[in-house]
Formats: sequence, C-alpha cells, structure tokens
Amino acid sequence: MPRPKPIPDNVTEIILESISDGVFTVDHDWRIMSFNRAAEEITGIRREEAIGRHCWEVFRANMCESDCALKRTMQEGSTLTNTTTYIVNSQKKRIPITVSTAPLKSKSGKILGGVETFRDYSLVEALRKRLDGRIQMGDIVSRNRVMHEMMAILPMVAESNSTVLLEGETGTGKELLARAIHNASPRKEKPFVAINCSALPDTLLESELFGYKSGAFTHATRDKPGYFEVTQGGTILLDEIGETSPAFQVKLLRVLETHAFTPLGSVRQVKSDVRVIAATNRRLADLVAEGKFRPDLFYRINVVRMVLPPLRNRKEDIPLLIEHFVERMNLLRAKAVTGVDPDVLRVLMCHDYPGNIRELENIIEHAFVLCSAGPIEIRHLPGGFGGQSPLPRDRTPPLAQTLNSTEAVAILNTLKDHGYNRLAAAKALGMHKSTLFRKIKKLGIHLPDIDGRSASGKQKTSQTTD
Amino acid sequence: MKVAITIWGDRISPVFDAARRLLIVTIDQGHIINREEATFDPEQPSNLTKALIDQEVAVLICGAVSQTPAAVITASGIRLIPFITGKVERVLGAYAQGTSLAPAFIMPGCLGAVFETDSSSTH
Repeated sequence: MPRPKPIPDNVTEIILESISDGVFTVDHDWRIMSFNRAAEEITGIRREEAIGRHCWEVFRANMCESDCALKRTMQEGSTLTNTTTYIVNSQKKRIPITVSTAPLKSKSGKILGGVETFRDYSLVEALRKRLDGRIQMGDIVSRNRVMHEMMAILPMVAESNSTVLLEGETGTGKELLARAIHNASPRKEKPFVAINCSALPDTLLESELFGYKSGAFTHATRDKPGYFEVTQGGTILLDEIGETSPAFQVKLLRVLETHAFTPLGSVRQVKSDVRVIAATNRRLADLVAEGKFRPDLFYRINVVRMVLPPLRNRKEDIPLLIEHFVERMNLLRAKAVTGVDPDVLRVLMCHDYPGNIRELENIIEHAFVLCSAGPIEIRHLPGGFGGQSPLPRDRTPPLAQTLNSTEAVAILNTLKDHGYNRLAAAKALGMHKSTLFRKIKKLGIHLPDIDGRSASGKQKTSQTTD
Repeated sequence: MKVAITIWGDRISPVFDAARRLLIVTIDQGHIINREEATFDPEQPSNLTKALIDQEVAVLICGAVSQTPAAVITASGIRLIPFITGKVERVLGAYAQGTSLAPAFIMPGCLGAVFETDSSSTH
C-alpha cells in the first residue's frame, strides 16, 4: 500500500482560514500571535490591527476582566469548552458568543501560550427567539410586535426616573407593566405599591397617600404615615388616575412638582423620593379635552406614555399566555395539566375578550377547577364556551344565566367523572349531598338512568362472582 | 475639570459593561491635582451618571461600551469617550495635556466609532 504524501506545512493555516469559528492565539504577555479569518469577521477587526495587541483590547468580552477563560486554561493547563459570554463590537453591539480555550504546549509539555476558539452565537440566539417568538419580562409574555417595541424601550424607561403614563383597557396588564418598570429600575430593592384611585373617596385617598397627623380629624388619635412616606425610594402606581377629583389632581400636581407632600393636619412638608406611575383605562387626553382632567397634571404625568394593546389586537399571544397560565397554575395548585386541546385553543382564539388578559386567566383558572391532569377540554371551560352550553352562541347571556350555566356544566362534568355517583361528586365539588340534589333540580340537570353506587356495586358483585 | 475613567488595575477596563472600579480625577491647568477611587454597578448606568453629575464630573473615559449604557450616559450630558485602551496614567496624562487620545489610545478597529460618538471628545 503506497504511503500517503506528507501533509504540507501550511495545512493548519488553510484549515484555520476555512472554518467559521474565530480562532486566535496569545503568548505569555497576552499579546495576539495569530488571528484567523472568522475572528476578523466576528470581531470586525482586521488581522493586521489585532496581531501584537493585548487580547482584551481586541476581544472585549465581559469575562476579560474578572473571569478570563484563557487565563484559567494557561494557569491550569486544561481545556475549557463552550463558555457562554458576549463581546462588545465597535458598533456598541453585544454579540453573544461561546468560547473554548486550550493551552498551547511544546513537545516537552511546556506551556507556550493559549488558543481561544469562539463562535458567533447571535444567529442561534435570533433563531431561538424567532422560533419561540417570545419576549418575557417579569410576568409579561408576548410575541406581539407592539408589545416587543414597548419592551425594547422598557429598560430605558425604567432606568430614567421619569413619570410614566400607562393607558390600556381593563385587564391588559397595566399593573404588571408598572411592576416590570419598577423591577428593572434602580428602585427595585425599594417598595412598589399599587393604589386604585377610584376605589377610595377623595379624603381617604389623600390620607392613604400622604398620611395624617394625630388630631387632623375625629378619631385620628395617632400619626399615620401615608404611602408616599412608606414607599420612600420606591414606586407608586396610581391606577384609574382619570377618576380622581380636580381637588386631588391639584394636590398630586404639587407633589410631583415639588417632590414634597404635606400630611393631613400637618404644616410641615415631607420630602418625597417616590417615582409615580399613573395608569388609566381611558384616554387621558380625551378627559382633558372634556374638561374632566387638569391639563397641567396631564402634561406633568405624560412624560413617557405607554399604551397596552387589548388582547383582541394581540391574539397571537393567546397560546403563549395560556401556556404561561397553565404553567403557573400547575405550580400553585400542584396539578399536572398539560395544556389545552386543539378545540379549546380554537374556541379561545375566536373569543373577543372584553376583559382582556384577566378574562383569559379566569377562564384557565375555571378550567383548573374541573381538570386535574392532561389537556384542558371544552367540557372544562365555562358554560359560555362549552359545547355543552345550552345557550345559543350568537347571544350574549345575562350574567346570572352564565353563572348558572357554568355551575351546571361543572356539576355535570364532576358527576360524569365519578360515574354519576352523587355522593362522590358532592364531595369533589365540596358541597353537601343534599345541596347537590337541590342544585341538580334547580338547574334542570338531566341525569342518565344510572346510579354511581349501584354501578360500582354491580361491578363488585360481578368480580366477586367471577 | 473632573474626569472619570473606568479602571482595571493600572489599565483602563476593557469593557464598561463589566467594569467595577472608577477613578475620578480633577485636572487643573494640565495637571492632575486630586484623585479618588469608587466602585459602581455598570448595570445601573443612571445611578452612575447621577453620582457623576453630583460630583460635577464632566467627562467619562472608558473601554468598549454597549448601546444602552452609552445612551444613558450621553443623555445625562456627560461627555462619553469610549473605546479607549492603555495604561490609566498615560491616558490621563495625555488628556490633561490636551493631547489627542486618537489614534494612540483607541482600541483596534474602533477609530471610526470614537469619532462618530463625539468628534471633539478626543481633542
């Protein structure tokens, strides 16, 4: 057999130039000795500029300063593979990469330097994101373009100390967004408090926010700090800001402008270092035009405005949100629900969600009551969605009817699950047997002519006989 | 005038996003007359800019920096001179003397980026 021809000397160079992984070598002084074509492409630095320079000036990875892989390799003489990190290129872009390092040794085993191989991971990252299509920030998940744009600017919004105005229909996640802003901000270690302004009358809202001094009014027997005081350094969400009175609006404006507030019954101002996020389910500009909201406060609040789209405009998020809620409720309720079956998904995708994400969450929560494992099926959904609903689909049922229908489906399904054994079904539903009988009668539930007890009894008898 | 510089031993920290230490010097008539060191969190650039503005720091010299912190620093009014490399004393000495930091102290492949950031910042 003929001996193969000896490999030419420059073959290593040819191989290094042809691969798509970046490769560079360094000497003991951390100066770059070689730099291949892919390294040029990934870093954007020409070989002539790189060779002879310190590796950290060229490579610029976040691990250079504190956890250099090459340094560890050269100290320990061992190989490190696939460490994930990022480099910063001259366009100020972070490029995710994976890094492997190995010592360069002489034939006698002496360490001459190190070799670092790195792979541009941004395409993989982008594909992974594209496949998954989601962005998650705190409890907000979305693959919707508008939401993505909003979340892209969220770190900048969070970093700034500006007042933020959140607009969006009820149930669109204004509080979640406010919380995400707080958690991404330098104030994240301090408290976050959400106040619903429409839930409290004016004077009570004022005393809750600014506190009061003893003797400020009857029964004010001792000082009470307000949320602006206990949240010092943190964030306050003022929800339903559009529902506040003109008098309260004046006081809030003063707090925002002077960064100080006066507790009820006090003559001294208290300094306030609280970031205010205002939220409303209406267009605040419309309320200003109608004369129901002070324009000066509007302009003071409207520094950064973020509008949350209703769920009907981001239906592509429904599967993602369902998955999110199922995961969370499985953990909370120790269940093993695997998701929703295709029929359920079809039904849920067709719904218009006047109650937005909160409504979807409630639907899933309802299904969790009836479904312990496996996929959620149509029969687990509230009556208005179920195939078993006695209501025509083109008619919006009145609330009482919907509740009755939901209850009827729940009872019927539980009975089915327990082979129509009334006692077992009553136990599973957490009600007395007589209550179950009363409800079956009241809701007009028609049961088949089988009795759970007798069925199981017969079975037992039959087994015994056999 | 006060100048801040991100440091790593006696060198400029290679990546602002992973830097931890800051040297703040006061330059008067081409000489450094005061210096103090501080630590900071690069993930909270607005905290850093607030502290720098409180101390009347006008310029921040650093290594490579990514878009978000660069935008926060620039928006605060502090002059950012990024992609600088080398020994801290040599860089500060050159800056105090009004000598151009480019091209001697610019990271490889970043000359264009520095001039794009602020053509006047490197003198």
